[in-house]
Amino acid sequence: MSNSAPGVVGAKHWTVGRIARITVMVVIAAAFILPIIGFIAMAFRSQEGVLAGTDGFLGLGGVSWENAVYSWSQINGFGPGAGGLFTRWVGNSLVIAVVGGVLALVAALPAGYALARLRFRGRKVMLFATLLAMVMPNTVLVIPLFLEVNAIGAVGQLWPVALIMGFFPFGTYLVYIHFMTTMPQELVEAARIDGLSEISTFFYVALPISKQVIALVAFFSFVANWTNFFLPLALLTSNQENKTISIGIQELIGASPLFNATVAAGLDVKLYMPQLALATFLSMIPLLIVFLTAQRFLIRGQTVGAVKG
Amino acid sequence: MSSTTLATKGTEPPAAGPRASTTPRRHRTRHAESRGAWILLAPYLALFLIAAAIPIGYAFWIALQKAPTLVNPASGFGGLDSFITVITDYRFSGTFINIFSVMIVWLPLMMVGIVGLALLVHASPGRFGSTMRFFYFIPGALSGIANFVLWVYLLHPTQSPLAPLWQEVGFGSLKEIVTDGNMPMILTGMLFFQGVGTWIIVVNGGLNGIPDEIFEAAKIDGANAWDLAWRIKLPLIRPWIGYAALMNLAYGFQLFLEPYLLRQISSGAIAGEWAPTQLGYAFAFTNRNFPAAAALSIILLVITLSIGVVIVMKSGLFGDEKEEKR
Repeated sequence: MSNSAPGVVGAKHWTVGRIARITVMVVIAAAFILPIIGFIAMAFRSQEGVLAGTDGFLGLGGVSWENAVYSWSQINGFGPGAGGLFTRWVGNSLVIAVVGGVLALVAALPAGYALARLRFRGRKVMLFATLLAMVMPNTVLVIPLFLEVNAIGAVGQLWPVALIMGFFPFGTYLVYIHFMTTMPQELVEAARIDGLSEISTFFYVALPISKQVIALVAFFSFVANWTNFFLPLALLTSNQENKTISIGIQELIGASPLFNATVAAGLDVKLYMPQLALATFLSMIPLLIVFLTAQRFLIRGQTVGAVKG
Repeated sequence: MSSTTLATKGTEPPAAGPRASTTPRRHRTRHAESRGAWILLAPYLALFLIAAAIPIGYAFWIALQKAPTLVNPASGFGGLDSFITVITDYRFSGTFINIFSVMIVWLPLMMVGIVGLALLVHASPGRFGSTMRFFYFIPGALSGIANFVLWVYLLHPTQSPLAPLWQEVGFGSLKEIVTDGNMPMILTGMLFFQGVGTWIIVVNGGLNGIPDEIFEAAKIDGANAWDLAWRIKLPLIRPWIGYAALMNLAYGFQLFLEPYLLRQISSGAIAGEWAPTQLGYAFAFTNRNFPAAAALSIILLVITLSIGVVIVMKSGLFGDEKEEKR
């Protein structure tokens, strides 16, 4: 990276420095993107093609729709009886991610507004606790959460997972920043002079100007919930039917003859690399949809979220 | 300064502002404001209690209990016994050594990558820069298990696009690649790939916050692109660099998914209790020793909370200064 340094000295137009900078950036981008292209191609290849090694650059030559249809029959056949566990797991993930996201919004919007625009005792403490919870890695709390859910006998059920995911301090922080930067204090004062209560001010003045931050919080919490691994692993492993897709894919890996010949030998379906890649690719589609929907808000949101106003 | 917009309406004397209202009325509105705030905070507070405060408190309480054993099934107050069980466990120090062995390789590389790429993106205005930034972000979208399966594909000695490289080095099977000795490199690859893009965007946001006049002034003084990056931009984004470093450090202590699944694909070549979180998981699910699992969680919690406090208090990114300016 630093080898662009000497070239820049005595800069004119197409200098050595500029060429070096562009080359370095393009090479790194290729190193980031090519593996992903190869991986997606893998989802549309056949195990025979993979073994023969005749599919060409990144396996792109062996890509076909029929391969994916066959791989899907294997993935969908996984599970007791006629299978169908995969779609069940995706459904569970959808329920958890959506319910968790809605709860996160319901909690974060009023809380972020109150922290940003109302004065009350305990405000600094709440803000500090929110920031602390936000920067803390969430897996640290998984064992304590498991002990809590275990104490009320709800291990293996979906609702505690969704409820826990509803606690999303980063969302509260985003809303806080949003109102700090986009809603002047005068607006709150004006609403008070007009005789609005604090609650009505939130609903009639603050909420209507929150479209963008709603999209941001919904996006980030959906992604966090969808990709969460340790929490569902601890809380849902005991119930095959209630697993999420993230830990479901772990089970598919465990059933692959690539890594565990003994388990795989007892199965009707064969999950080789193309099947695992397709399962992973399919599990990413909801994220892709959410990403594309939220994209225009994300681009504008970068300036709000990252630059602190 | 902020009261100028109100003042021009001429309803109130400009200098006074909202604080000039009479004392009893101010008292009443302050009370209503405070009550309104707590009502608005209620759902968030409830979730905070359920998902953070209560489990932490409960874990403390559990950690102070005695673990029931076959000989003595009764539990009861055990003081710090469970902490002693954890710390004297033969695997305890090893899990931290494992984590450090990864962080020593990963953190410096990660920081150089984040800052270097963010500066490169910032030095490339227009479409090219934003396209590159988007490309760097894409792997970040594949976080967690998806990133892991991608890496299984990349590491596979015969099916990977890197297969010629692996065979050149002499790796014939996944079991030969996924070994204890290679863990720092493998985890560095996985974590760098999945994490660097998001942080480039954060640090880039910091760079975009620097007023253009500073760069203009430096250019007039004869600074070239390299001087700008090294002497101007780098010092100005120090808070973001510190923030990224500490967040990633805290992240290191809670690694779970990658070592847990690497064990699975290496037919057990990696220890089941490779990382501290895995040891906690083993205490809870294999040994059913909940007090020890709780004690280990609290140890990790204290470490990551301390890092968190430093981030929040010292990074200068989360202060109330903005508000005081108003």
